[in-house]
Amino acid sequence: MKKSVSLLLVLIMVFAVGSNLVLAQTDEVTITVWCWDPAFNIYAMEEAAKIYKEIAPNVKINIVETPWDDVQTKLTTAVMAGQTGTLPDILLMQDNALTKNVTNFPGTFVDLTDSGIDFTQFADFKVAHTTVDGRNYAVPFDNGAAINALRLDILEEAGYTLDDFKDITWTEYIEMGKDILAKTGKPLLTNVADSPDQIMAMLQSAGVWMFDEDGDVFIAENDVLKEIVEIYVEMVKSGVLVQVNDWEQYISTINRGTAAGTINGCWIIGSIVGQADQKGLWGITNIPRLERAANASNYSNQGGSSWVVLSSSKQADVAIDFLAHTFAGSVELYETILPSSGALATYLPAGDSDVYNEPHEFFAGQRVYADITDFASKVPQISYGVYNYEARDAVGTAIAQILAGADMNSALQEAEETVKFLMGP
Amino acid sequence: MKRKLFKGLKYLVLLVTSLLSLFPLLWMFVSATNTSVDILTGRLLPGSHLAENFRNLLAKADVGRALWNSLRNASVATIASLVVCSIAGYGFEVYHDKGKDFLMRILLLSMMIPFAAIMIPLFMMFGRADLLSTTTAFVLPTVSTAFLIFLFRQSARYFPKDIIEAARIEGMGELGIFFKMYVPIMRSTYATAAIITFMGAWNSYLWPLIIMQEPESITMPLLISNLIAGYVTDYGALMLAVAISVLPTIVIFLALQQNFAEGIISSMK
Repeated sequence: MKKSVSLLLVLIMVFAVGSNLVLAQTDEVTITVWCWDPAFNIYAMEEAAKIYKEIAPNVKINIVETPWDDVQTKLTTAVMAGQTGTLPDILLMQDNALTKNVTNFPGTFVDLTDSGIDFTQFADFKVAHTTVDGRNYAVPFDNGAAINALRLDILEEAGYTLDDFKDITWTEYIEMGKDILAKTGKPLLTNVADSPDQIMAMLQSAGVWMFDEDGDVFIAENDVLKEIVEIYVEMVKSGVLVQVNDWEQYISTINRGTAAGTINGCWIIGSIVGQADQKGLWGITNIPRLERAANASNYSNQGGSSWVVLSSSKQADVAIDFLAHTFAGSVELYETILPSSGALATYLPAGDSDVYNEPHEFFAGQRVYADITDFASKVPQISYGVYNYEARDAVGTAIAQILAGADMNSALQEAEETVKFLMGP
Repeated sequence: MKRKLFKGLKYLVLLVTSLLSLFPLLWMFVSATNTSVDILTGRLLPGSHLAENFRNLLAKADVGRALWNSLRNASVATIASLVVCSIAGYGFEVYHDKGKDFLMRILLLSMMIPFAAIMIPLFMMFGRADLLSTTTAFVLPTVSTAFLIFLFRQSARYFPKDIIEAARIEGMGELGIFFKMYVPIMRSTYATAAIITFMGAWNSYLWPLIIMQEPESITMPLLISNLIAGYVTDYGALMLAVAISVLPTIVIFLALQQNFAEGIISSMK
């Protein structure tokens, strides 16, 4: 009898110790993250995980590679089905879609305004993209500051230098473009037909968008947009801008050297440097500015994404702490990811670091990263709004109609009505 | 002479159209051996970067796992839906009455509902049943499709009813008649149905995307979509991944194509 009692006691003790061990093991927290680019944001996340490992060794970052379109599909399905348990703790969101998602799915994302993250350390225009109704919903990440990348050898052939393109207007750009076309046979610019990206970058350069402060559609009466359309049409008609069919063809015009330059978000550098033969032949400067628009500037933005924290996360506090110590607090992180990914951040303290001031071989020794960081600090702030994608598509269609010969005012009127219809009463 | 000229012209047209439809496939295989920049600048000759693309691809994605997942999911889906739909199609035709005809009509109507419309309710059902990221979840919604049932019902219509009667008189059970007589004779229909189902399951994207939540359950189409997500796409690795993902479908198509022809010949004997 005694024996069995002592055996029981021993067993109980073993179990008690065992379960303690189990408890100690479950102290390990796993933060799941959805993002999509192995060469860039996944790589950045991996480096951030390494940095945070030293601060909180029990936190494991589990990165799930998910392309943006798929992130949106999965997010929509999970929220609409009420099964947010399938969502990650953190996901990377396109800035273009942020306002829409925050507004359409209230309560899905953690309001980070009072989380202790210092948003003043990020570029102002970027914080504006991640703010909805005055509340911050995302930790800003990559930089989409617009650059005008030009082939120095082609410019030289036509008697120009990179400096001729600095701080210029679109009229001056078109004049030089016509001259370069005549002398070298190469257009200054290429763009995917029907893609509104170029138009959007030009709009933001004047601090204007397709919606006014009240969120109402602002297309048909938008004089800045009209000025842009006129410039765009003139560029296409004069051959300064050549429209291509798809993205692959667009990249091909850069890599083959059939165009003298391109204007896009600074992330286009990643595709430019892919063609090793062109090393030393490229330079970058700021983009041309509008003339009639009141707040015209030589700076804009194209694309970009930011980190949001999901409210459904059981360890949202850990997720926030992780972001605060890495993407919103570690210059070291940004110094690590820049050289191999070439992708720039919007975290301003990183811009002062030596790594950002290194000359870039591919760009003939130009300090491109420092230049882009400078551009980013001057990009006009705008809010993209809930119906951003609808408006972009409508304006894209209008441009195609205008190029085919339709009247500008009626095409823009039609675009405005389309967006209004999609927005509902 | 005129006839010969006409025939030659006919072959020329056929040759051009078949070249046109084969060209993308050929370009894909050629591109798998070229670098990203080569592909974008329009190189049409085979290059020497196959090994490099292969290394890059393996570094970026777990191709082995995705291939295995796709193969397993598509095989289970094909076998399960062939069994279920052929029995259903046979039943609708052989034991047919007014009620079943009405049911068949409703089934055919269900073909008109786009998948996107039932996606969210389906996702909720599988989520509550705790079946996310499983092969069961992948297969179940497509096990019984109106199209396949219709295909089998149509082919059962040309199955000689006298043989069924004769077998019944000889004392064969209904299941025996189906498995021992109908299935062997209808091999060609099975081959067609298998090709259609396998290709559908192999290429399916939207449903696996939302139902396969774990990275371990990734399939080939999802893997390819991952490869084009970044700011910079490695077209060499991408083309290699697409080429790899196309191979099993080509093999299965060719294998069943053979069977398909045999089936027709043997059923005509």
